[in-house]
Amino acid sequence: MKITTTLITALSLATTPVLASDVVRISGWGGNDLVVVNSLLNEVLADDIRAAGITVRYEPVEGDFAQYLTNALSAGTAADVFYVDSFWGAPLFRSGAIAPVSNANQAVADALIPALNEAFMYNGQLMGLAKDFNTLALQFNKDIFDDAGVAYPTMDDTWHDFRSKLQAVSTNLGDVHGICVVPDYARFAAFALGTGWSPFNEQGHTVLDDRFRDAFEFYTTLPDQGAGVMAADVGQGWMGGCFGDETTAVAIEGSWISGFLRDQAPSMQYGTVGIPVHPGTGERGNLIFTVSWSVANDSQVKDSAHKLIELLMSPKAQQWVLESGLALPSRESLGNNPYFNGTGQEAEISRVVFNGASDGYVEPFAFAQYGGDWKSIMDEALGAALLKERTIDDAIRHAQQQFDRLTGR
Amino acid sequence: MTESALESRVEQAAVRRRQAASLIILYGILLAVATVLMGTFMFALLASLKRDPLEQPFRLAFEQIHPANWVVAWRLGRQGSGDAFWGGFGPSGDVTFELTYAAPADVELVEPAIEVPRRRPGTGMAAAVYRDFAADHIVDWTIEHAALEPFEVEVDGVVTPWQRATWTIRFRHDNEGPRIERVPLTAEAPLSQTLVDATLPPTRIERRGRVASWENITPGSLGYVFNNYRRVIKESVDLNTGNSLFVSWFKNSFFIAAGRVILTLVFATMAGYALARLRFPGNRALFMLLLVSMMIPVQVTFISNYLVIRDINLLNTPWAVIMVTIVSAQVLIMKQFFQSIPKEIEEAALMDGAGYWTTFYRIVLPMSRPALVTVTIMAFQGAWNDFFWPLVLINSPASAFTLPVGLLSLRNAYGGAGDWSLILAGAFMSTVPVLIMFMLFQRYIVDNPIASGSKE
Repeated sequence: MKITTTLITALSLATTPVLASDVVRISGWGGNDLVVVNSLLNEVLADDIRAAGITVRYEPVEGDFAQYLTNALSAGTAADVFYVDSFWGAPLFRSGAIAPVSNANQAVADALIPALNEAFMYNGQLMGLAKDFNTLALQFNKDIFDDAGVAYPTMDDTWHDFRSKLQAVSTNLGDVHGICVVPDYARFAAFALGTGWSPFNEQGHTVLDDRFRDAFEFYTTLPDQGAGVMAADVGQGWMGGCFGDETTAVAIEGSWISGFLRDQAPSMQYGTVGIPVHPGTGERGNLIFTVSWSVANDSQVKDSAHKLIELLMSPKAQQWVLESGLALPSRESLGNNPYFNGTGQEAEISRVVFNGASDGYVEPFAFAQYGGDWKSIMDEALGAALLKERTIDDAIRHAQQQFDRLTGR
Repeated sequence: MTESALESRVEQAAVRRRQAASLIILYGILLAVATVLMGTFMFALLASLKRDPLEQPFRLAFEQIHPANWVVAWRLGRQGSGDAFWGGFGPSGDVTFELTYAAPADVELVEPAIEVPRRRPGTGMAAAVYRDFAADHIVDWTIEHAALEPFEVEVDGVVTPWQRATWTIRFRHDNEGPRIERVPLTAEAPLSQTLVDATLPPTRIERRGRVASWENITPGSLGYVFNNYRRVIKESVDLNTGNSLFVSWFKNSFFIAAGRVILTLVFATMAGYALARLRFPGNRALFMLLLVSMMIPVQVTFISNYLVIRDINLLNTPWAVIMVTIVSAQVLIMKQFFQSIPKEIEEAALMDGAGYWTTFYRIVLPMSRPALVTVTIMAFQGAWNDFFWPLVLINSPASAFTLPVGLLSLRNAYGGAGDWSLILAGAFMSTVPVLIMFMLFQRYIVDNPIASGSKE
């Protein structure tokens, strides 16, 4: 009897599914992302994760995440799954510390907006799946345009229409500027790319041609033309700050500005349209800011890590992300989501920003292996021209020399 | 008086003048430094109370420090929830709020559009925490209007007749819902109409003057003045447990600082005494090694220390931060202090039959109180303000952070939205323990009992 019982017990244990689960550590930055990831793990996907036999340990990191990740990958203490920003991803991809997207997740990759996948391509391999993204759009303060008696910006406005409207607002009201400009490629690119110019030519060199000059002159002379002001001159560091305190009529920011306005100017009536189109090309330019879920190459639970990413990128999870208003999902099919047809200003900004990823000349906010070195040359040139330290031609010539040294020619 | 005596008196007078001048200069410098330091402290305190600590120009007189507003906030808090100190809106809440608008006599004064918006406070983690809104629990909403006496406005010698009226808003809680911490309110009126008075001053004027907006019209007196402090404690929460992260960070910092102080005192006193009194081969070499080790920047040894701590599985624990830098300059301080203690005292103890340990523990340590206090303060301050090691060694979970790293996380969550008031309140609170420590123990630093311990 005793032997029979033992045998039955042993047999039942052998046929019972393995209850032990892989522990997958995931890591990203803190701040607002804490809310998104925490809710995804504990509310939206808890059952699916458990069913997949995965236990998740979420380790948000404060401070400089890029620095943390570099150190952690070097010391072998990095999480199994973590964020990689397209801006600083290339050196990590080159180091071999990151595993390419698994074949099992290829279906997820195929469902994403194509431009997002381009941001994480390295040597022909996809190194991460874009968890969410942002692009630039034009926000405008309806009260300011109403008080000035100027028509609202529209999706069809060209650069000239845009500048004329800002000039009219500034002239009619006196106490408001059109836009506050910053010496930052992350905003200037909205115009530079619209001309058809590209940061790198086919040989991988940066060439500041006439198209670039066209945008450079337009952007850096907005204050001189009575259409704008330097952000620093009104005590701000970014366009959203000027817009939030109603110093300016418009801002060029991503959907992150909606959270800022919800907090700092909760009653503001604002609208959102796309970046003005270049009068020559008839296209608008835009940048994609995105972060991937990637897997450490030396992870001991690589299969579970890829499976977890699949869950985090599932339609169910992305739908929740969209409806929570906390970030924009990266699945192309969600462009048809009813949420985007809402009439509220936050639905409108989400719609315009989402569509911005596939409207006109769009580039990822990434500069190959050059990263911050490339951007700082551009920012320096913009600053020199805006502050009148150099003439426009001088600033471009100087920047070209620096780019030639950096990217070759 | 002889000539030499006269010369001597002249020299003494000159010496006294020089001494007096030196004292005046010294005290002047000390007073200037104290004024600057305390002035900075006071400005930080004032800024931490404001809604917008970055406001330019900086105002010394602002709404939160007006006693009249404290009284009103007290009354509104009591009306809203019965809690006059911390306010809120709960069952039995019955709130009355008044708005007075004025306009030129030839313009129609219209009723402002009043709304209690469903507004979350701040950004970041608060977005996940606040789920109850006052707007969902208000019943019996009434607005009454009373015209006031007309008045005249003179601008550049031209007198214009104006009219004004007060709107009284009264609303009650539905008596079933929860107690809600805040009741935001907005009042929208045409641009021709100006808000001239309100029960509480508006938090901000929006939409180019169309909308007056209040973050909370039932704040309670303490809630009104210390709103930023309340926010930093209540809005930084562990999303899994609901516990205040700020409180956890405070506790962690205390634990780590206490651990560092204890270990530092043990090692610094023992090593300092050994180097000061014990004669053994390699004594000087050991001392030189100690000096050299102090000169090595932390960045040089950081990776090796990190790897060691990783290999002994102490990452993400307070023990890692406690043990990583226990002794440094403190050994030097103790060694120098022990050397200043007359040997005769210890020899007398030895003569009386005390051993080395008893002499050290019963005689030397009690006499070393000034040095011990100095080392304690230095170790505590160093541990409390340490940013580098906690940032490197404790990445997760958020409740394990120390205060400086926690403040960084607050900055990441709220700074992007320009919500600096909460961050500044947290930063100010983090300075208080060190300040209290200095205030409590500074007299021990000055006091030196050794002089009375031996006879010349």
